[in-house]
Amino acid sequence: MKIWKIFTSGRSKISILTKIRAFFVRDLYEELSYPLSFTWRVGSIFFKLVTFYFLGRLLAGALLPELSPYGGQYFPFVLLGLALASFQGVALTAVSNRILYGMYTGTLEAMLVTPTPLAVIIFASVLYQFFLALLEILIYLGFGVGLFGFSLGSANLAATAVFLVLALLSQLPLGILSAAFVLVFKKDDPVTVILGHLSALLGGVYFPLKVLPGWVATLSQFIPFTHALEGLRQAVLNGQGLTQLGTQAIILCAFAVALFPLSLAFFAWAVRQAKRLGTLSQF
Amino acid sequence: MSSAPAVTVSNLSKYFPQLELRQFLTWRRPPGVWALKDVELELAPGENLTLVGPNGSGKTTLIKLIATLLVPDQGRIFVHGRDAGRHPLEARRRLGYITANEYSFYGRLSGRQNLAFFAQLHGLDPRVVIPPVARRLKLEPHLDRRFFSYSTGIKRRLDIARGLLHQPDILLLDEPTSNLDPITAVEIRELLVELRNLGKTIIMVTHRLEEAEKLGGRLGIMQEGRLREVRPAPGENMEDLYLREVQDQYSH
Repeated sequence: MKIWKIFTSGRSKISILTKIRAFFVRDLYEELSYPLSFTWRVGSIFFKLVTFYFLGRLLAGALLPELSPYGGQYFPFVLLGLALASFQGVALTAVSNRILYGMYTGTLEAMLVTPTPLAVIIFASVLYQFFLALLEILIYLGFGVGLFGFSLGSANLAATAVFLVLALLSQLPLGILSAAFVLVFKKDDPVTVILGHLSALLGGVYFPLKVLPGWVATLSQFIPFTHALEGLRQAVLNGQGLTQLGTQAIILCAFAVALFPLSLAFFAWAVRQAKRLGTLSQF
Repeated sequence: MSSAPAVTVSNLSKYFPQLELRQFLTWRRPPGVWALKDVELELAPGENLTLVGPNGSGKTTLIKLIATLLVPDQGRIFVHGRDAGRHPLEARRRLGYITANEYSFYGRLSGRQNLAFFAQLHGLDPRVVIPPVARRLKLEPHLDRRFFSYSTGIKRRLDIARGLLHQPDILLLDEPTSNLDPITAVEIRELLVELRNLGKTIIMVTHRLEEAEKLGGRLGIMQEGRLREVRPAPGENMEDLYLREVQDQYSH
């Protein structure tokens, strides 16, 4: 059978966007194949918020001057911290998780023999995860508003959106660095471990940075998450715009500009190392 | 059509160092093994080569290097006259790599969804390219089932289908019939003969000498990273030839 003649009509110039869409659809199909997976995620967010809601009620009568820059209430403060922390978790782990899965199953090699640039494989592989992470933030806010009396009335939505984008841009390079470590060292990925713990401790997820000793609070300024969360809180809780939050925005842009080329170069080096050592399909 | 050879391998060597942290901290070559040594090869369009040899002799390493999945320590590879190391995306458009790993798919996706994903990575419209390949490989009744529910034979056929989706000029096959039942293995050998007759350049790694006989063309014996080509006489039994050549090589 002359199957090749039929093929010639199939060749078409499909853009990079179509390739990116293919990754998104692949991950969507995978997610849909686990029908309860998303439901459990939503349930987990709900129970986490219930816990912190009652903790917030416990603290409601206490005098907490450290919370005054954030409206004085603990629950809205921690809700935004939790939401952005889950977003950061995706930024730090999505690329390396996908790379590990690809190495383990052999799908990474299968992708690398197609004429798809490496950068497209990296970014497109995590697009769906970021879509889900963004959806999770909306679920956090939705539960907060619908069930726990959280108010978005004074939020500056434009600044909120800008800080979510900046949070992504400043932290995704760290996720790419993490994936590069995984490619070379397989399991010993210091980026996720160190940054994950540091951000929880120093980023101000559960408590304002003012409660930390001075030098520790200074250290926290070197973590992009700290600035992203501060910007997000001020935009949502106090309605501040980009004029007031310019410093945080510039710092996050600087992190992104400095870290993106570095992380991509390191990842490309890691792939080359894996190809040199023959470990692309070793786990 | 270009008059350049389909595949040219020039002075190719590949070294696998032991995986130790110190290898990243030194310029000196860490201890390891030479998987390939000074391999030379040239295949004209439409020619085919079967690579045989003991386990660990460098067969898979050679085709992974041609597929751009490994980088050489020495030497170069040209695909239709273009340096594959410098232009890997161009090379990949012309190469169909069919792995020995039938698990390199997404288990929760159907066969069709898997093929559609890889077709799009090749810049192709899945609705156009999947049906004829699926028909030829008798995959149509299985395409809408999830990959994890497939038998080994169907997984292997899906692997071959993926390698053919983009109509490559050159096929790199790594043990395409290993772990298959005799009937499926025969079907795949017939497909390879059909592809050979269509003018495809085929490089196949196998341990089954009857496959080399069936495919015809050149026979490459690999041992300890070195490639030696032998030309069987008409009617000569491949197994006898292989055993004689390998024993000769050991005795030298």
